[in-house]
Amino acid sequence: MASLERTGTPTRLRFLVGLTPLLCGLACTFLTNIPVSLLGGLVPPPLLALVPIYFWGLIRPDLMTPVTVLGIGFAEDVLSGGPAGVSTLSFVLTYALVARYRDSFAGLAGLAAVVGFAAAATFACATAYCTVAALAFITPGAHSPALGSSISELAMTVLSYAPAVLVVSWLHHKLVGASRGDV
Amino acid sequence: MANAWKIARKGNAQLPLVIVIALAVVLVLLGKAQGGLFDRARGHVTDLLAPVLEKVRAPVASFDRWMGSVTEIFSVYEQNLKLKEENARLRQWRNVAIVLQGRVGRYQQLLHAVPDPGMNAVLAKVIGRANRPFLQTMILDAGRENHALPGQAVIDPRGMIGRIYLTGNRTSWVILLTDLNSRIPVTISPGNVQAILAGDNSPMPSLDMVSHTVTLHAGDQVTSSGDGGLLPAGLPVGTLVSDSHGGFRVALLSDPAASQDVEILNFSKPPETPPATAQLPVEAAGLKPEAPPPPASAVTPAPAPAEPKPGQANPGQPNLGQPKPPLATPKPQTAATAPPGESADLDR
Repeated sequence: MASLERTGTPTRLRFLVGLTPLLCGLACTFLTNIPVSLLGGLVPPPLLALVPIYFWGLIRPDLMTPVTVLGIGFAEDVLSGGPAGVSTLSFVLTYALVARYRDSFAGLAGLAAVVGFAAAATFACATAYCTVAALAFITPGAHSPALGSSISELAMTVLSYAPAVLVVSWLHHKLVGASRGDV
Repeated sequence: MANAWKIARKGNAQLPLVIVIALAVVLVLLGKAQGGLFDRARGHVTDLLAPVLEKVRAPVASFDRWMGSVTEIFSVYEQNLKLKEENARLRQWRNVAIVLQGRVGRYQQLLHAVPDPGMNAVLAKVIGRANRPFLQTMILDAGRENHALPGQAVIDPRGMIGRIYLTGNRTSWVILLTDLNSRIPVTISPGNVQAILAGDNSPMPSLDMVSHTVTLHAGDQVTSSGDGGLLPAGLPVGTLVSDSHGGFRVALLSDPAASQDVEILNFSKPPETPPATAQLPVEAAGLKPEAPPPPASAVTPAPAPAEPKPGQANPGQPNLGQPKPPLATPKPQTAATAPPGESADLDR
């Protein structure tokens, strides 16, 4: 089945197709922040929203724009209840990193692709941790956050990459299309 | 490089990445300075999502319990023996506690002791939990409509879990004692040592502001101290355990991960009605007030009122050179007629 974008779809539908990365990112944010844990709260939930940002940031940066990333990060901040702006900043900076080294990241395949995503996720978690630590530093009497939960979150994010990217790539092939800049 | 820092959509220019990064930084600073904006948005979102969360909770909660029991299935026998032994010991302590409670009641009657402030509680159901790297919280299905207010303590049958930090109309967010931002005043017994229980996202919070001159012991009991008047005193919190650095941490009695129903304690000292401003201590004590002194004009002539200087005198204020009115003159009871909400806030 050809993607909707490459077929003669109406303009309104093409506009909706162009919103797919944003909607997918928001859906991942919602899934991440359903405050129900399947593992009894043993580990933090993965940063699922990072998967569509990484995926479409590599192959369709015209659809996953910086403003889209800003919106997804803002939604993550509002829904997660964590310190305001931290997820937004970490997502946007990770997007900038991926954009900076797009050719290197996009050339990865198989296990190397997982390693590439792990590098991006590490950068995102490290950015969030440093931001919160900096906020704690300027707040009198505040403690630096424990590193253990950030590492657990990173591990969960990397582990969830493979199943999540399957869904995202399926959506991409069915709705968006592979070529760059068609919308 | 230029492409990396300015990604534009064909025919529809987007904000450059640098500006978006700057906006994100501004968002962080704004969140730090005006956290209430985000909190209100979260309250509205949670109110909207509450029905969904309650629907999702039922199937996931049973799976959650099953997962929790898997890890304990191998130690059930040992736990059972331990619990039987503990149960027998607790029954003895219960009898002792009942006897002591009666004795304390009699002593209070004899001493005309001021009774403890009354507390009422709202039973709430946990509809969600979030265990994030920088946030440990739970969401309850009681909000402002159920008189849940920020600052109120949340307990389970074992001890204190945390306190409410954000309320929507029908939901509340609880900041757990283990959360990075949690600070509550506690008392360590024996010794009545005052400290601050500070969460750091680890399962056992640490103790701050402990005097260097006191000696703590593992096993000491930690309860809320009630300092500040926001939390009731004496809520069980946990016990001291030694950590690897030679310090102490608090092993909490409550188990937020397993709690399904919790109580929100509405602890507020009853607002006192201040006496009328004209009522002197002697009157309040039931004594006859002394006669007011004769007016100053009768003894010495009052000086002529000074011409008010611009910017110094306030026409609305009484002239200090005029004789003062007698002290028994009734004045408007501003404090007594304050709205109840204000007095409650002051009390809080």
